[in-house]
Amino acid sequence: MSHSIGRTGRILVPLLSLTGMAMMIYAVVAGDETLPVAPPAAQPAASPYASTVAGAGLIEASSRNIALASPLPGIVQQIAVQPGQRVAAGELLFQLDERQIVAEIAVRKAALQVAESRLVEAQAAAIESRFLLQQVKGLSDNRAVSREEVQKRESADAVARARVNSSEAALRQAHAEVQAAETERERLHIRAPLAGEVLQVNIRPGELLSASNSAVAAVVLGETSLLHVRVDIDESDAWRLPHGGKATARLRGNAALQIPLQWVRVEPLVIPKQSLTGNSTERVDTRVLQVIFSFERGKLPVYVGQQLDVFIDAASAGGAGQS
Amino acid sequence: MSLLSTSGTPVVSCRQLRKNFGSGENQVQALRGINLDIYPGELMMLVGPSGCGKTTLISVIAGILDASAGECQVLGENLLTLASAARTQWRGKQIGFVFQAYNLLPTLTAAENVAIPLLVQKLPRSQALKQAAEMLQRVGLAERIQALPAQLSGGQQQRVAIARALVHQPPLLVCDEPTSALDHHTGHQVMELLRRVATSANRSLIVVTHDARIFPFADRIAHIEDGLITHIAENSPALIKESLHVA
Amino acid sequence: MINTTPMDGASPLFKSEIVIVYAIALKMLLGDRLKYFGLIAGIAFAAMLIAQQASILVGFTKQTGAFIRDTAQADLWIMDPQVRFSQDHIPLREIMVHTVRGTPGVQWAVPLFQGFVRARMPDGTNFTLILVGLDDSSLTGAPPLMVEGALTDLRRDRAVFIDAGTSAKKLRMKNGGNRPMQVGDTFSIMDHQAYIAGSYRSRTSFFWEPVLYTTYSRALTFAAGGDRNLLSYVMVKLLPDASLEQTRALLQQRTGLAARTNEEFIQLTADYILNETGILMNFGFAILLGFAIGSLVAGQTFYNFTLDNLRHYGTLKAMGVSNRTLAGMLFLQVAVVSVLGYGIGVGMGSALGLLMSSAGLAFSMPWQIPAITALAILLVSLLASWFSLRRVFALEPAVVFKG
Repeated sequence: MSHSIGRTGRILVPLLSLTGMAMMIYAVVAGDETLPVAPPAAQPAASPYASTVAGAGLIEASSRNIALASPLPGIVQQIAVQPGQRVAAGELLFQLDERQIVAEIAVRKAALQVAESRLVEAQAAAIESRFLLQQVKGLSDNRAVSREEVQKRESADAVARARVNSSEAALRQAHAEVQAAETERERLHIRAPLAGEVLQVNIRPGELLSASNSAVAAVVLGETSLLHVRVDIDESDAWRLPHGGKATARLRGNAALQIPLQWVRVEPLVIPKQSLTGNSTERVDTRVLQVIFSFERGKLPVYVGQQLDVFIDAASAGGAGQS
Repeated sequence: MSLLSTSGTPVVSCRQLRKNFGSGENQVQALRGINLDIYPGELMMLVGPSGCGKTTLISVIAGILDASAGECQVLGENLLTLASAARTQWRGKQIGFVFQAYNLLPTLTAAENVAIPLLVQKLPRSQALKQAAEMLQRVGLAERIQALPAQLSGGQQQRVAIARALVHQPPLLVCDEPTSALDHHTGHQVMELLRRVATSANRSLIVVTHDARIFPFADRIAHIEDGLITHIAENSPALIKESLHVA
Repeated sequence: MINTTPMDGASPLFKSEIVIVYAIALKMLLGDRLKYFGLIAGIAFAAMLIAQQASILVGFTKQTGAFIRDTAQADLWIMDPQVRFSQDHIPLREIMVHTVRGTPGVQWAVPLFQGFVRARMPDGTNFTLILVGLDDSSLTGAPPLMVEGALTDLRRDRAVFIDAGTSAKKLRMKNGGNRPMQVGDTFSIMDHQAYIAGSYRSRTSFFWEPVLYTTYSRALTFAAGGDRNLLSYVMVKLLPDASLEQTRALLQQRTGLAARTNEEFIQLTADYILNETGILMNFGFAILLGFAIGSLVAGQTFYNFTLDNLRHYGTLKAMGVSNRTLAGMLFLQVAVVSVLGYGIGVGMGSALGLLMSSAGLAFSMPWQIPAITALAILLVSLLASWFSLRRVFALEPAVVFKG
């Protein structure tokens, strides 16, 4: 039996072969990496309409976002409002350091008093010179007072009257100067131009506010009970935009939250698309048409400056470029 | 040419048998007109130098090779007209072979080797193995039925081969140099066995050999040279008898 | 007494002959341990070479599409028509996302950034990485599995995710740190600070560079300061009832860009990479070579086996076994060694491949590969047995008669 394979060999080889085939079947069935498809963290926004013009929308106040600055440079002295606070028109927002102008007003008020006393003085002198003139003017006897004397008293009277006039003018000037200083002082008080919500306060008391540095607004204000959405529509899609059409906005991160939008207007100027990454570099190869929609803020968890995915129903009424 | 010494219908009858190999200029004439008759119970030896055509002749007689021309009647069958597939079947039934190198299947036991001709004759396996065992007993190998060829000596292997050649009782045995791989003594024993077992049943044997020491076992010896039988020598029955008693 | 009809194959006796002779054929085969094992080894070698080389090629092909498969959360990819493969960055105008969103049949569309950027590890090691920026709001296109951290951690400041599977190798600090980067580390991408907020697991990619995920807008900041159009792809999900072809045609018409399905994009990438890198040529050649060598070894072994046994076939033939039965015996022998060798071969190929793939190398065996291997082995076996049969049929008497 030296050459022939034994019983073990006779079984071993088919066994090996069977094992091999089992291994092959395993490699075929389970050998490949089978990985699941990851579900997205949030469902991407889908259009609710059959025919849609889509764009990225940016929420802004219905008054647009008003960036307030100071007309004068100065140190911030006091801030009267906080971000999120509602203000009435004319309400104080913040105030610059006014010590200098207060002192100026005091000086000018003193000058006013001086002018007032000067006027009183001039008036008294005028009364006296008038009396002296009338004493000699009523006399019939020319010889009692010389002609020269009469002329002298007449001119003294005229001078006194002129002096009253000039003192009056000086008083008015002093008055005006006080008022001017008061106005100057008022200009250091920055007030709300309209009723709205304080969106941002970028200054702190003690900071120097320079009138020339307008890159950052001191306070941003806007009317937010009604919010606007400014939607960028690609110029090549502009012809499909239905004027006055229906639109829906979906919140990024939760596409289930959708907001019905009211048509406001289309801005008739096509502009280069602004980058929203923070800097103002323009993407010059993309020009967009901006369309404004509005919605009631209500209890929606949305904020001014937030981006929305906006879907405009291209088939809705008023389609300008539809045919 | 000597006259026929044996009477009766010849088992093998060749007339002007020719066999050519190749064609055109390369043609080799292996058999160039063989006339030969072999009678039942006769042991015919074919002797001659290498390449003389001995092997070709037994190949034709055994139905392994097609002859080119002439006539060759073996056991009543005209081999030149018999189709190849039919000849194969005929051969399986009518001819027993003993080879110089025994040609036992090395992976089969002695009994299995012997049983092959019976299996080819479509005998059931158990019956075939039983008959094979009987035949092995007759050649003196009753003990080695389950042995593999490699476990047997040369003489034993040749005896297994003889048992295989005889097991299906063929009327004609063709033996190719049955003793040349064996020493003198063993070769003698094998020839004795062939002489005794084979011819006892009125069976004819053709033995190709160039071993002169076994010539005495033959009834007749045909000398072949260059594709022709030069002469056929006849042994006296006494010599044959004597040869059987030498061992 | 002699059945000479050529139709003897139809008789039941013939069948029983076959059964018995088959037993002899098997004994011949199993009888010689050396030849038997040699034959099986030859076939196994051929099967292994073919199956393994083909699997590596398929593995490479699959790896080229790994990113697309990982990201395949949508139906269509909008890209520049010149894009040749998935890591080819040809920027689009960002507003295209909205144009796509406005196209009928589109359920949603999100931007995706993907590009190569340079980065520097804390110890100063410089490396190039593939940065993937996911849509900020939905994080669509995220890697398949998070290992450390949650997907929403990507919304954290400066957050990026690293590949947990390859960071040990590809994100190793070599200039003193001598450790892989981990969750919690910070490093800089194009001079912007990035914070590793999590790690993920994804398919093995053909591309060597480590893949980092972040949000889309952060990716733009990292990649170029955020002021250029850097949108790589728009991923589009179709409405359930929308027609793919109609929507695709509309998208292509409106955007002027190419819209490809995941499968098409995978195909495009695979075609490009396999052709451009010469992988297809190399591996096609290797497979052919494997097939040729394996076939030669197996065929030669079997042919030699037949030659060695030629005397035995001749003996059987001399003893009356028909050519047909001899052919049956040969075929049985070929079939047995082929089946056994095939099993062992593909088994070895699979085992090696699984080992390789667990080491991150390309290996993928779809069912077609074992099938094609089987066909190839069958072909080799048939060829070998055909050559052998010719020798058996044209049996020279000399083979039987001479010692």
